[in-house]
Amino acid sequence: MSGDRYELNLLVIVMDVNPIWWGQQAQREPEFTLSKCLDAVMVMGNSHMAMTTTNRLAVISSHFQDSHFLYPCKNWTGGDGAWDGTMDEAPYCGDGKYELLSVANNVVAEEMKRVMSTTEMKGNSTDTLLAGSLAKALCCILLQKIVTFFSAGQEMKSRILVIKTAEDCARQYMNFMNVIFAAQKQNILIDACVLDSDSGLLQQACDITGGLYLKIPQKIALAQYLLWVFLPDLEQRPQLVLPPPVHVDYRAACFCHRNLIEIGYVCSVCLSIFCNFSPICTTCETAFKIQLPQMMKSKKKKLKQSI
Amino acid sequence: MASLSEEVLLVLKKVRQRKQDGTLYLMAERIAWGPEGKDRFTVSHLYSDIRCQKISPDGKAKIQLQLVLHTGESSTFHFSNDSSALTDREAAKDLLQQLLPKFKKKANKELEEKNRMLQEDPVLFQLYKDLVVSQVISAEEFWANRMSTTNTENTLSDKKQDVGISAAFLADIRPQTDGCNGLRYNLTPDIIESIFRTYPAVQQKYGENVPHNLTEKEFWTRFFQSHYFHRDRISTGALDIFSECAKQDEKGQVPSYEGYGFSAAASTSNPNRTGKENSNSAIIKRFNHHSAMILAAGSRRGDAPNDQASETSSTDGNSRDSDLFQPPIKKVKLQEAIDYLDLQREDGPKTVALNLKKSDRYAHGPVPLESQKYTTSQDIINSITCIRHEMANYVPNLAQVLTSSAVSSAIAALSPGGVLMQTGTQQAINQMVPSEVQGELKHLYIAAGELLRHFWTCFPVNSPFLEEKVVKMRSNLERFQMTKLRPFQEKVQRQYLSANITGHLEEMLQTAYNKLHAWQTRRMMRKI
Repeated sequence: MSGDRYELNLLVIVMDVNPIWWGQQAQREPEFTLSKCLDAVMVMGNSHMAMTTTNRLAVISSHFQDSHFLYPCKNWTGGDGAWDGTMDEAPYCGDGKYELLSVANNVVAEEMKRVMSTTEMKGNSTDTLLAGSLAKALCCILLQKIVTFFSAGQEMKSRILVIKTAEDCARQYMNFMNVIFAAQKQNILIDACVLDSDSGLLQQACDITGGLYLKIPQKIALAQYLLWVFLPDLEQRPQLVLPPPVHVDYRAACFCHRNLIEIGYVCSVCLSIFCNFSPICTTCETAFKIQLPQMMKSKKKKLKQSI
Repeated sequence: MASLSEEVLLVLKKVRQRKQDGTLYLMAERIAWGPEGKDRFTVSHLYSDIRCQKISPDGKAKIQLQLVLHTGESSTFHFSNDSSALTDREAAKDLLQQLLPKFKKKANKELEEKNRMLQEDPVLFQLYKDLVVSQVISAEEFWANRMSTTNTENTLSDKKQDVGISAAFLADIRPQTDGCNGLRYNLTPDIIESIFRTYPAVQQKYGENVPHNLTEKEFWTRFFQSHYFHRDRISTGALDIFSECAKQDEKGQVPSYEGYGFSAAASTSNPNRTGKENSNSAIIKRFNHHSAMILAAGSRRGDAPNDQASETSSTDGNSRDSDLFQPPIKKVKLQEAIDYLDLQREDGPKTVALNLKKSDRYAHGPVPLESQKYTTSQDIINSITCIRHEMANYVPNLAQVLTSSAVSSAIAALSPGGVLMQTGTQQAINQMVPSEVQGELKHLYIAAGELLRHFWTCFPVNSPFLEEKVVKMRSNLERFQMTKLRPFQEKVQRQYLSANITGHLEEMLQTAYNKLHAWQTRRMMRKI
C-alpha cells in the first residue's frame, strides 16, 4: 500500500463546535445549524480521502471544555486500523460507499454526539480552545510524520483547516502565536474558513504559514466553498484562480489601553509599547527622560535677535 | 573715484588707453585707469572679472598689456613712458600674475562647483531643470540651500583621508643605465617617504647615520647597493649597515598576515629542497614581508583603534609584557599552567536581570479586550440545551448538503470579478501607464518634494525672514501646481482614464496649504 508515486497528504480539520455560538446560531438561522456544518465537513473529508488512496484525514472538535479527536478515535470499536482502512467489521451503510468513507462519517457523527452530550458549563470561560486544538493537530501531524517515515520511508505533507465560528480569545494570544510559528517551522499550512466574524489571529496564521483565509458570505453554501478553495493542496493552488490574500493588520496594541496603534513609544529595557509618553515605564519601572524640543526653540530665538 | 579705503598697490604714469594718455592704478581688488588730468576712472575692472592677461611680444615697438575679461571684452594698455615702459609693463604684469589667480579661483570655483554638481547628479540636474528653468523658483533660492551643504561636505572629506603607500613604489624607481656601467636611481621625496613609512628600520638607520657619517646621497647609494635591497639576501660582512635591518626582519617582527604561496606544512616538512626552491621560497617570503610591511604602515597611520590593532599585531603581546615586567612572568606561566579553558565558567555577556512588574501584558496580543457580545447565563443554558437536543437526533445526510441556488451564488462569488475576488484583479498602476509617464511622475515628485521641504522647514515660524519665506513658498507651490501638475494630470486622464496617479501629490500640496492657512489664522487671532 505504499504508493511511491503519491505523496502522503494529511489534512487535519479543526472544527469550532462552541455550543453557545451554535445554539444561538440555531435560533438565528435555522437553515444552517451544526448538523449542516458537520455534513459539509464530512463531504470535505470524504472528497479529500477520495482524491488519492494516500490521503489521510483527521478531525478535531474544538470546544470550550477541551479539544477532542473526532476521527480517528480510540473509542471506536471497529478495530485498530482506522488510519489505513482495515477493519474487522464494516458497518453497513446501504449505499455502496467506499468503506473508508462511511466508517469515517460514522465515527465523526458518533463522536460528535458524545461530545455534545457531555457538554457542561462548569467554569466561566465560554471561549473556544482553539490554540489547544491547533497544538493537538500539530502533535498528531508530527506523530504521523515520524510513523510514516519509519514504516514506509515516505515524506508526508500536511495542512490544517480551521473552521471558525466564535470570536477570538485574547487570552490565547501567546499560545496561538507559538503554534503558528511552530507550524511555520514545520512547513504546515494553516487555512482558515471563517463563518461569523473576522479573526485577526487566524489572518496572521494564514499569512505566516502561507495558507488561505476566507470569510464566507453565505453559510449554507459552506460545502461549496470548502471544496472550491480548500480542497486543492499546496502544489495545485498556484495553478488555480483562488481568492487573493487579505490585508493583515499587523499593528501592535499598546500595553495601557490595548488600542491598535501605528506610532507609539517603546521602552528600551522591556520593549513594552505605549501610546503616550510617560516618564516611567509601568512594566519595568525604568525612568526615562525625553529631550523636549522647547529648549531648541528658545535658543533659536536668541540667535535671531542678535542679528 | 577710488574709495579711500582701497589700497593702491601700483601706480604707473604715462599709460595710454584708446589713444588717450593717462595713469594706470593697480588696487587691492581691481585695476583701473584714468585719463590724465581727470579725477575719475574711465576703465575699472575687478580682478575676478579678468580671465587672463596678454602682453605684446618682446620684439615689438609698442609695449602693450591686454586684459581679457570673462565676458570676452578686452582692454589694451599702451605703456608709453619713454624710459621705463618695459619695466612698467613688467611690473604691472608681475603684479597681475600674482593677484589674478587669487581672485580667479573664487569666481570660477563657484561656477565650476555648480556645474560639476549638476553633471554628477542627474537627479539634481533634473530638479534644476524642472524648478529653475521653468521659473518656478529662482536660481539663487535653488543654490542657497545646496551650496552650504556641499561645501561643508567637501572640507570634511578632505581632512579625513591620507594618501596611502603604493605597493609598487620600490619597483617604480626603475633604475636607468648610465651609459658606462652604472645605474641611475631617481629618488623623489615621495618615494623616500614611502620607504621610511614601510621600513621604519631604514628610517632609524637614516636618522643615525645622516648627516653625521654619510651624506644623503651616499646613504642611498649604500642602500641600493646593499644586498638588503636586492633579491638574494646573502648577508655579507658587517660593513653593510643594512645587514642589521635584514637580521631584524628575520627575527620575525612582522605582522602575521597570510602571504602568497605560503603554507605552514611546506616550510617545515621538507628539508631536502633543491637550491632553486629555496631561492623561490626566499623571494616569496620577501614579497610577503614587503606587502605586510606596507599594510602595517598604512594601519599605523590610521586612527586610534587602528593603531591599537596594528600595535598588537605587529609586536607579539607576550614579548611586550616580558620587556616591561620581568618578575611576574613566572606568575603568568604558573597561571597559564593551571588554567584550563574549558573548565572555566562560561563568561557570557554581562546581563542585568529584567525586573518586570506586570509581565502578563506581553501575553495579551493585539486583540482589543472589549468583548463585543454579552451573553447572559440564561442564554448560555438555552444554547447548550438546544444544541444537545439537536445533536442527539443527528443523522448525517450527505446527499442534501447543498442546494443548487446556493452553490451557483457561491461559484459566482468565487469566480473572477465576484464578491470575494475583488482585490486580486486590480491591476497594478505600473502596468497601466507607460514608463515615460512614470518617469515624469518621478520628476514631479522630486520637484514637489524639494519645494515642500523648503516649505516645511520654515515651521516653526520664528522670524520675519521665515514668515516671508513661508508666503513665498506657498506662491511657489501654487505656481508649481498650475504649471506642472495640472497639465500632467490632464494629459494622463485623457489617455489613461482610470489611473489617479497624482492624487497623493495633490494631497501633500493641500496639506501644506492647510497648514499655512491655519498658521495665518492663528496669527490673526493672536494679533487681535
